[in-house]
Amino acid sequence: METEGSRTDLGSIKIHKNVIASISSLAAIEIEGVKRIGGNFKSVLLELAGKKNLAAIHVEINKNEEVKVDVPLVIRYGFNIPEVANKVQENVRNALEKMTNLSVKDINISVQGIERG
Amino acid sequence: MRFFTVIGVLFYAAIIILIGLVFIVFALNLLNPTDISSFLGLIQSNLNSRLITGLSGILLILISFSFAQLILGRFQREKTIAFTTSSGQVTIALSAVEDLIKRIAGVLPEIKELRPDVIATKKGIIVDLRVVLRSEANIPDLTERLQEITKNKIQEVLGIEEQIIIKIHVAKIISHEDKDKKRREPEKEQPNMPFGGYNRS
Repeated sequence: METEGSRTDLGSIKIHKNVIASISSLAAIEIEGVKRIGGNFKSVLLELAGKKNLAAIHVEINKNEEVKVDVPLVIRYGFNIPEVANKVQENVRNALEKMTNLSVKDINISVQGIERG
Repeated sequence: MRFFTVIGVLFYAAIIILIGLVFIVFALNLLNPTDISSFLGLIQSNLNSRLITGLSGILLILISFSFAQLILGRFQREKTIAFTTSSGQVTIALSAVEDLIKRIAGVLPEIKELRPDVIATKKGIIVDLRVVLRSEANIPDLTERLQEITKNKIQEVLGIEEQIIIKIHVAKIISHEDKDKKRREPEKEQPNMPFGGYNRS
């Protein structure tokens, strides 16, 4: 559930997958045209239980400490989907690299729906 | 993945055939209920056989779950339009495209209802539109406009250059009279309350 972590003089630093999911979620929401983060059955159940909607964001970290993130999105009506998806990918990559120093391999966007508002 | 699918299909076929055979044997009177109960009693009497039966049950449930997930995952994966960018893959659910098309109904006042069905094939995107029109609409004009608007909107929003085929099926034409009738009907249907008029000033 965590990265291998980096070693400092004082100890090791590990980053939990939920942290990566959280950063990705916040970075995605920042983009104009993103209505909300999409969901799956598990995330709906967790949301009903009062947990944050992070289960829908799938994070994978391979042996080389490369991160792969799958972000489901609901886009606002009237926005160009490829443009919004591109901006989200860029923003998520920048946010992850800036905050975690991890190298980001893939950011896969899946557009689940379109909503007005 | 294909290997596991084949194993799963064979497994389910074997289980269903086995159940079918048991029914046939039972129907042909080749199997006595006492034999079944003695067999079940035998299983229950021994701890090892109970353990094996329980583990087999858990294994069967796990195989069923993984197989169902495999099939459902495959169906979900097929229902998307995908393209790759430098940062990764972007997949658009066909239901999202359907949501987008539904919004178009608001642009054309002649359309009462619009039900889209989007299919992505190798040839391009096929959009089946089932529409309910208002009676004042000129159908050839309107359908042509609808095809044009839908096509432009999909190209504009999805940014794809693939061929888009739009098929329209006019399912119903409603008139304003129908609407008015529906509004009047509930008034007519109100039952007369006995002595309803008494004691009211």
